Amino acid sequence: MDPLLLARLQFATTTSIHFLFVLVTLGLVTVLVYLQTAWMITKKPVYERLTRFWGTLYLINYVLGIATGLVMEFQFGLNWSGLSHYAGNVFGAPLAMETLVAFFLESTFLGMWIFGWHRLRRGVHLALLWGVAITAYASAFWVMVANSFLQHPVGYEMRDGIAHLTDFGALLRNQSFGMAFGHVTFAALTVGGFLVAGISAWHLIRRTADYGLFRKSLRIGVVTASIGTVMVTGFGFAQFGYLGAIQPTKFGDEYDKMAAATDFAARLGGSPADYLPPEWIGAPLGFMIIIGNLLGLVVFLLPLFFRDWIIRLRAPLYILLFAVPLPFVAAIFGWLFREVGRQPWVVYGLLKTSDAVSPVSGGTMLASFLGFTALLLTLAVTNWYLMARYAHTGAADPSLGRQHGSPVPDPEPRPEPVLAA
Amino acid sequence: MSTAWYTLLGLFFATYFVLGGYDYGTGLLLARARTARERRAMLTAVGPFFLGNEVWLVAAVGILFGAFPLLEGELLSGLYPAVAVALAAVLTVTASVQLRSRPASERAKHAWDRVIIVSSTVAAFAWGAVLAGLLQGVPGPVLTSFVLVSGLAFVALVATHGAAFLALRLPEEGFDKIGRNLIPLALAAVGAATVAGLLSSRVRGHAHRPGVVIAGLALLILGLMVARVTLGRRNGVAFAATSLTLAVPVLLVGATLWPFSPVTGLTVADAAASGPTLRLLSWLAAPLLPALLGFQAMCWWAFRGRIDDRAPVYW
Ligand code: HDD
Ligand code: HEM
Ligand code: HEM
Repeated sequence: MDPLLLARLQFATTTSIHFLFVLVTLGLVTVLVYLQTAWMITKKPVYERLTRFWGTLYLINYVLGIATGLVMEFQFGLNWSGLSHYAGNVFGAPLAMETLVAFFLESTFLGMWIFGWHRLRRGVHLALLWGVAITAYASAFWVMVANSFLQHPVGYEMRDGIAHLTDFGALLRNQSFGMAFGHVTFAALTVGGFLVAGISAWHLIRRTADYGLFRKSLRIGVVTASIGTVMVTGFGFAQFGYLGAIQPTKFGDEYDKMAAATDFAARLGGSPADYLPPEWIGAPLGFMIIIGNLLGLVVFLLPLFFRDWIIRLRAPLYILLFAVPLPFVAAIFGWLFREVGRQPWVVYGLLKTSDAVSPVSGGTMLASFLGFTALLLTLAVTNWYLMARYAHTGAADPSLGRQHGSPVPDPEPRPEPVLAA
Repeated sequence: MSTAWYTLLGLFFATYFVLGGYDYGTGLLLARARTARERRAMLTAVGPFFLGNEVWLVAAVGILFGAFPLLEGELLSGLYPAVAVALAAVLTVTASVQLRSRPASERAKHAWDRVIIVSSTVAAFAWGAVLAGLLQGVPGPVLTSFVLVSGLAFVALVATHGAAFLALRLPEEGFDKIGRNLIPLALAAVGAATVAGLLSSRVRGHAHRPGVVIAGLALLILGLMVARVTLGRRNGVAFAATSLTLAVPVLLVGATLWPFSPVTGLTVADAAASGPTLRLLSWLAAPLLPALLGFQAMCWWAFRGRIDDRAPVYW
């Protein structure tokens, strides 16, 4: 089979899986920072229990973030050696910063945070979680800087057919970067908010134990989701302002699109059609916007906090439960638009995808694609199963931060719902 | 400047083999544990360090990509089968160590432990194969007898190192003895790899500083002998000695090929990123290194010593 097609399929599959987990990591860690800080300040035990419950869920999710991230990192060298050859001088720097500044510290902090309960001083323990959150956002920052260079190359000069870095600041000021970074981080917050709200809603629907705890996290989830959707929509529309200018073949009007494609064809050979992304590229964008607008309706649930109408009416709980998958779907659509929309370029206008792929045989590429996809999908499904099982079990005794020989706490008695009676 | 970055790259990989090495060593020694309690204790010994160990690999590859983009592409795609197997094994270890305690049933935990045993062994083997592949030069056929024997030798070294780590961390006796018994095996395997290397014309042609090879092998053997004598009496010294045996192979490969890189005919200086990129990385990374090491040291310090039944358990 065609190695190029396989390498692209493999990249699309692995990144999409990676991103599903990363969204949850970024979203939940933000909620956790709020919860543990609130615990430190108010000393209320409910915040400790919330931190431990959502913290365990966060950690199960994190496992696959690392596993898929490793594949991502190696994939550049394995399948896209042309990319490191022609653009590595520029593109490699932000990725190196990501690993040194962000991942290295993040993993070290996280290990200490997990095992440091009851062992480190409270303030130190909280500082570690802040460290984990800040470095997680830093990793998103650097990887988006790298990705934005692929979308809109800046800060380089070509010598002997190879890109050399001339201006690192330009990479950070890249038009393609700022709004996209804001959009991605708030997409993660949206995911986190809907996940917390949805799982809490499930417990409230089933009238499981721990009414007080899940009532609290339902509210936190709805507020987070509201902030997230408003901001993600804002940053989303803000990208339209420049997209057509920097990537005319993706988002220019018909005239600009054809002009750019004709220009590429004239300079580099081939027909203009070779320089256009697939016809269907508008569809994922459309679906993302529809989902975004739907999710935005979550702000209308805020007034229902009054007298717990949001719980007593029950319908909002079902809505929140069924909304959980939507932001994930929107995010994948968004990436499809961003990444497929820049085709046939890996580095827009500079390096074609077909020139970046490694000189590896189709057979090897096929084995690698099938092997890693099977492995990652198995792990991902196992992981989701474990997360669902864990979320279902409830907050009686999360493994995270369990004290040695401490008795399992009694769940609070749940008040009878007034309306349902 | 490219020399400094090449050294740093070597040190990061070496540290990964030392730290990740005892993760995989512990993982494959799970096969020796008879009871669930023993397996629990072994994983508890690794617990707090596990994430901080694995991330050295991520950082090493990051340096490779940032400072030596040419090498990254050539080496990873040139050693495709070995690297792909190593990667699959590493990510399986990472996931299964962290997930094994999530299911409630002992049966499921035991099944995960078997996954850990197999993937740790494969990871150790594949890293040995990758190192041997670097020594015989890229590009070229990867799966030679030298590569396979070196893979086995690395498994033996990793297992010994894991035993030394567990002897240091666990209150139970027994791992010192396992370690001592593994050492003759490791010596034999290193000897076999040396012979296979001498027989390979590619290795002879490529490793053009035989003095370095001899010195490296001498250090390796010395480390194993010291471990053999001290295991059971001075476990700290034994652990330092087995750590040395896992750091030496990377440094040996780097130094014997110098000034060339593992890619045939390509010098390290030519393989490095261009000047502005390296300068930028130096400005950004140099001030950070002390912080990175400091936080790792804080982790080692906070969870140092033998574990007891108050040791925190999570995965
Ligand atoms: C929760 C997820 C989510 C939601 C609700 C939305 N998006 Fe989005 N969108 C993403 C998640 C996302 C993403 C996954 O984060 C992307 C992929 C790449 C990126 O930078 O962000 C993205 C990309 C992306 C792009 C591509 C930028 C490029 O090609 O460079 C545009 C134009 C928009 N979005 C616009 C919108 C608009 C107008 C929305 C209004 C409702 C919207 N998105 C909702
Ligand atoms: C995590 C979210 C991401 C997702 C879901 C994603 C999705 C995709 C998809 C669908 C493709 C295939 C496009 C095609 O071949 O038609 C692709 C290709 C690619 N992406 Fe991404 N991407 C993500 C982030 C990134 C980032 C952060 C980078 C760079 C740092 C990146 C670099 C690439 C490269 C190099 C290719 C292969 C070449 C190409 O096909 O253009 N991606 N990605
Ligand atoms: C295509 C390029 C990408 C590469 C090479 C990559 C690489 C990695 C690696 C190696 C890890 C594991 C780090 C560890 O061991 O702790 C990781 C995790 C992570 N990545 Fe990515 N990644 C990519 C895309 C993205 C994108 C697009 C985002 C977000 C916008 C992101 C955010 C994160 C975060 C927050 C983590 C840490 C949390 C977790 O493991 O879930 N990554 N990534």
